[in-house]
Amino acid sequence: MLPDRKGKFGIFGGKFAPETLIEPLEQLEIAYKKISKTKEFKERLNYLLKEYAGRPTPLYFAENFSKFLGFKVYLKREDLVFTGAHKINNTLGQVLLAKMMGKTRIIAETGAGQHGVATATVCALLNIKCEVYMGEIDVERQKLNVYRMKLLGAKVIPVNSGSKTLKDAINEAMRDWIANFKTTHYVIGSVVGPHPYPMIVRNFQSVIGKETKKQIIEKERRLPDFLLACVGGGSNSIGLFHPFYKYKNVKFIGIEAGGTGINTDKHAATLSKGQKGVLHGSFSYILQDNYGQIKATHSISAGLDYPGVGPEHSFYKETKRAEYFAVNDQIALKGFHILSELEGIIPALESAHPIGWLIENKKKFKKSDIVVVCLSGRGDKDVMEVAKIEGEL
Amino acid sequence: MTEIERKFIELEKKKEKALILYFTAGFPSFEKSIEIIKKSAEKGTDLIEIGIPFSDPIADGPIIQYTSIKALENGINTDKCFKLASLLKNIINVPYLFMSYFNPIYKYGIEKFADRCVESGVSGLIIPDLPYEESFEIKKILKERNINLIYFLTPYTSQERTKKIVRKANGFIYFISIAGVTGPRESLSPETIQSLKRIKKIRKISVALGFGISNKEQIKKVKKYVDGIIIGSFFLKKIIDGKIGEFEELIVEFKKELKTY
Ligand SMILES: Cc1ncc(COP(=O)(O)O)c(C=O)c1O
Repeated sequence: MLPDRKGKFGIFGGKFAPETLIEPLEQLEIAYKKISKTKEFKERLNYLLKEYAGRPTPLYFAENFSKFLGFKVYLKREDLVFTGAHKINNTLGQVLLAKMMGKTRIIAETGAGQHGVATATVCALLNIKCEVYMGEIDVERQKLNVYRMKLLGAKVIPVNSGSKTLKDAINEAMRDWIANFKTTHYVIGSVVGPHPYPMIVRNFQSVIGKETKKQIIEKERRLPDFLLACVGGGSNSIGLFHPFYKYKNVKFIGIEAGGTGINTDKHAATLSKGQKGVLHGSFSYILQDNYGQIKATHSISAGLDYPGVGPEHSFYKETKRAEYFAVNDQIALKGFHILSELEGIIPALESAHPIGWLIENKKKFKKSDIVVVCLSGRGDKDVMEVAKIEGEL
Repeated sequence: MTEIERKFIELEKKKEKALILYFTAGFPSFEKSIEIIKKSAEKGTDLIEIGIPFSDPIADGPIIQYTSIKALENGINTDKCFKLASLLKNIINVPYLFMSYFNPIYKYGIEKFADRCVESGVSGLIIPDLPYEESFEIKKILKERNINLIYFLTPYTSQERTKKIVRKANGFIYFISIAGVTGPRESLSPETIQSLKRIKKIRKISVALGFGISNKEQIKKVKKYVDGIIIGSFFLKKIIDGKIGEFEELIVEFKKELKTY
């Protein structure tokens, strides 16, 4: 099972981190391997996932949307999990782990604020100090989530270096961790970063795919033909895909943010348009210029606005286990509207990307196909933004 | 033997310790950075570390982040860094190294990068986000060209890992004195002294202490344990603040401190 001992998925991943981080990363890996196997940890995590976060989430047959498309679509309702997105699956696991490691302080980065809110929530619950790094531009665009984190007792630290967005928040959180690792655990929000993070986050998010597998067999008595999810850093998608890895008839499709178009310079389609390189401690596809400087990205959805991607996705791409496509802001908006109108479900703009892609590509599917889409989050957080874009406010 | 190794031997003979200064290429401008490097060599700097700016310098504190972003805004790039290094060949007669995050090197092409280092007189490479485990390929390529790849150690590096790295190190070991990113700090920890002693027991290799050095008193305390000290943020701050006179005086003063022990 990947990653290997060096934290590699094929050639991707690894631990491209400063020497000051090697020891904390090793300690984290050892602690994770030991603690996550204990009965105490498993029971406590399962209890919290069920009673606090509301798992399992439904695998909902979207009948109207299916009719509209001409084949069967199921939605894995991560929008219904507590705090409104899949992010809490990971934060519950990691904060619980940190507590059992004896850490007294949690730090996290956030872009849209979803991961920050999920971290702050769990820290309130488990009574541990929480500080969240957030780019100054994101602090400005996501005021509501900033206030939410404050309500939950977390401190939000605005980051004014670099592009003042998610990637810079990650830089700053890493710098904090380098200096404070003895007391502090860094809860990274996606399947990115140096080993063991991509593995740990994937394992905590795999609850999505494990539930889906059980549920689809109950409902359809067979495995699905396609799994679809949006890819920012890649955690909800890997969480859905990974438990199906060995079933080669189940095809994986990841949808990235095409921004204003992947042939413009305003997008975040890392796997579609990026090249191999190192960002935030792992070797993967990244968006970079000819000199290897990291590029600024754009997407209508803050959660996909990231110039890197988890190394396991790069491995899936390279080995053709998964296919990756990008849709632009307009198509995501179309998905946002159609799902709202047909199913009464307002999706997060991130999750609206695979919805929009399905609508645009419905001809590629057969009537007998069964497609599962990960609805990674709910759209309440985006309603204001969309209203503004469409001139309704 | 590389220029760097020769330098450390020469200093040892003179009973001196190395003063190693870091400068961001292209800050405050291409021409000014050459001027500053020239001045610092004239005032007694023994080795110069030239930073190739990177958009996401995770191991660096606010000052180097600032100079890196400014330099990138001013249009610096890897090719211009090589040009800068080539110009230095005829301007200074102390060895100089490049410090670069791994991605710009990887993107440039490791062999091509190494060849250009040879052409432009760069005698060592420091790559803060390339750990020992990932370093073998590039180290081999550099070795074939007589260029040192400098390894890092910290007070928290495990004893087993320290042994492994010390045995394979060449040029010198870059010892990070505190947990944290670059930037001026006031004091040095007892753990640091402990680890420094430990390295010397494993093998005779030059050790330079970096991260957080900002005054003569610190130098006085640590010089007996190391073969050199590396200063970055502290002097860059002087340049940012336009205190060039003070910058020059401090180099002289620090070097003087490193001459007697
Ligand atoms: C609702 C939602 N979906 C998806 C993402 C993208 O992250 P990932 O690709 O790690 O699932 C985010 C990130 O903030 C999110 O909030």
